[in-house]
Amino acid sequence: MDLAWYALLGLFFASYLVLAGYDYGVGLLLARGGGPAGRREALTALGPFFLGNEVWLVAAMGILFGAFPLLEGELLAGCYPVVVGALVGVILVTVGVQLRSRPSHERIRARWDRVVVIGSALAALGWGALLAALLQGVPLEADGHVAGVTHLATPFAAAAGLAMVTLVAVHGATFLTLRLPAEAAATVGRTARRLVPVALTAVALATVVGLLSARVRDAVQRPAVAVLLPVLLVTALLAAGAALTRRRPGWALVATGAALALPVVLVGAALWPYVLVSTTDPGASLLVADAAASAPTLRLLGWVALPLLPALLGFQAMCWWVFRGRTDGRAPVYW
Amino acid sequence: MDTLLLARLQFATTTSIHFLFVVVTLGLVTLLVGMQTAWVLTGNPKWERLTRYWGQLYVINYVLGIATGIVMEFQFGLNWSGLSRYVGNVFGAPLAIETLVAFFLESTFLGMWIFGWHRLGKGVHLALLWGVAITAYASAFWIMVANSWLQNPVGYEVRDGIAHLTDFGALLTNPSLGMAFGHVVSAALLVGGMLMAAVSAGHLIRRTADFALFRTSLRIGLVTAALAITMVQGFGFAQFGPVGSVQPTKFGGDSLESQALIAEWTTRFGPGDYTPPVLASVGLGFMILIGFTLGCVWLLLPLLFRDWIIRLRFPLWLILLALPLPFIAVILGWISREVGRQPWVAYGLLPTEQAVSPVSAPLMLASLIGFSLLLGTLAVTNWVLLARHARRGAADPALGRPPAPPSEPAHPEPALI
Repeated sequence: MDLAWYALLGLFFASYLVLAGYDYGVGLLLARGGGPAGRREALTALGPFFLGNEVWLVAAMGILFGAFPLLEGELLAGCYPVVVGALVGVILVTVGVQLRSRPSHERIRARWDRVVVIGSALAALGWGALLAALLQGVPLEADGHVAGVTHLATPFAAAAGLAMVTLVAVHGATFLTLRLPAEAAATVGRTARRLVPVALTAVALATVVGLLSARVRDAVQRPAVAVLLPVLLVTALLAAGAALTRRRPGWALVATGAALALPVVLVGAALWPYVLVSTTDPGASLLVADAAASAPTLRLLGWVALPLLPALLGFQAMCWWVFRGRTDGRAPVYW
Repeated sequence: MDTLLLARLQFATTTSIHFLFVVVTLGLVTLLVGMQTAWVLTGNPKWERLTRYWGQLYVINYVLGIATGIVMEFQFGLNWSGLSRYVGNVFGAPLAIETLVAFFLESTFLGMWIFGWHRLGKGVHLALLWGVAITAYASAFWIMVANSWLQNPVGYEVRDGIAHLTDFGALLTNPSLGMAFGHVVSAALLVGGMLMAAVSAGHLIRRTADFALFRTSLRIGLVTAALAITMVQGFGFAQFGPVGSVQPTKFGGDSLESQALIAEWTTRFGPGDYTPPVLASVGLGFMILIGFTLGCVWLLLPLLFRDWIIRLRFPLWLILLALPLPFIAVILGWISREVGRQPWVAYGLLPTEQAVSPVSAPLMLASLIGFSLLLGTLAVTNWVLLARHARRGAADPALGRPPAPPSEPAHPEPALI
């Protein structure tokens, strides 16, 4: 039961990173120039999916609170600055994208677009650093609380945050290669291909810093899984690069999507059976089973979630199906 | 300043801003469902134009509802980790259900509704709006289930200092839930109706184009507001009974029940001040005053006959000037409910000071200032945009604008692979 809910939590958070990941990627790419028309084009490509993407974060947080209340409190309060950074990023993107087209002056719209760029960078940095914080362990004391927030300020957290920024950028560019009209797609496809080596470098850097960090080495329970993470990330990025070169943006998006889902899955697996590993007191580490809500709560939530999941996935799939294909002159424009 | 006070201020700020937007969301979506259904059933283009105009205002308003809602959801963990530690097993369940059953679908449907004009069949498009409305109400219901549990914890037992769920049904039949849910939903309808009437009144005062359109929405708004204010008053006064019996100290510590309860708490939790701040009762008093004032909406209804309300003009001014009142009232009502719960986060079970996260005061202060400035700025920006779009009129809202004439094949090629 605990494992099922832990897997479900991972599924929702990974889906959030994959889906909202291209929101943030497209958001970052608003900074690449191309003028108002180029930014309009990118946001039109994103349009119908935007609201359906961020709901995965809200649902993941709901599952975290309902099924893992203890973890919710300690993780969020214990990683305060990083979570707040990601949260501010999420807010800026959600408000920026939805309101940017309401003023009619291009100058004000450009200002909103800068807000979206900053928000996208913050969100990616924050989530990357949060995953790093899990992997490097937290100073969890015997009283069950995380001591202070200075444990976050490590080179590894910074490197992981940067790696996440490059991953969403590649993902966003690949999404646009798939969605934009053919001519525009060729241009952004070149950008995507150029971003692949950047992401590879960032992932390599984070890997090296992680391997050098004694905290990461100590916290990881399954080193083989942890080593698998960068290997699979590099494989996914290389596959994405190859697919982009062969003009198969669909497969490239699958590969970049996998690159965003993998960190969640493998961080969870590398720490199992723990979810928060203490750097100060090994006995204080938090097991997944201990972090989970008690059995009656999980049973209740199970009865709610089981029949609901097909509906949630079905309506999401309906959204993807209705708005599939490349955008053209007739694509609905709203934000 | 200690962490507890700062965390409380932050929650109050975020919740108040959130509440101002979600009551509009809930109220307007109900009226939109009516308008779009009328369009699909009658085919009269007037209803399509009304749906697009009010739909655009609804969608602009929705943005801040989500943004502040996400901040609130995170705040439980960031600032109130004790809440999840001690009562998360029970309190977390309705919140988790809310995100999965309600919000997830609400936003997914809304995305398809916004972009589905001229792309989906009329029936499917209408069904999506119905979906948005139903899930919005479900959302309000589950949030109220969670909130009512904090007001009056039921269906749990404490083992090793931690609350465990024993009877979920008790959460749904909580005496502090039923009337309060009715009260909040009618308050949302009141806000939606008043907003619609006031914006329409503004156009009729300025004698803008689209007289017929705004005449219709003025009438819809006024009738809704009148019906809603009566329900607000009914559900409001009906709450005094249940609240008085499960939360005697809410209205002060003078009654016999309160004093017995305070004596019991003093033996169990040690001596302390167990009466809520006076702010709660003051808020309640002013809210009731505003509620009675708004009851006068009924006096305007006879003036709908032969459009006297528009011809006389001064009733239009009254409606326009009264627009802030329902917003002030919902905030006061919320203050009275939440401040009246103090010093408990879960009434009689978990003191607020035990729920706050062990975060340093400077960090909490930075977070308070940062989020208040961010959300405050965004809220004001949002209202300015709302006001501008309301003023611009229904000539050509961006929502549901027909696409440019086809220059390329209408059927997009599937792009995967």
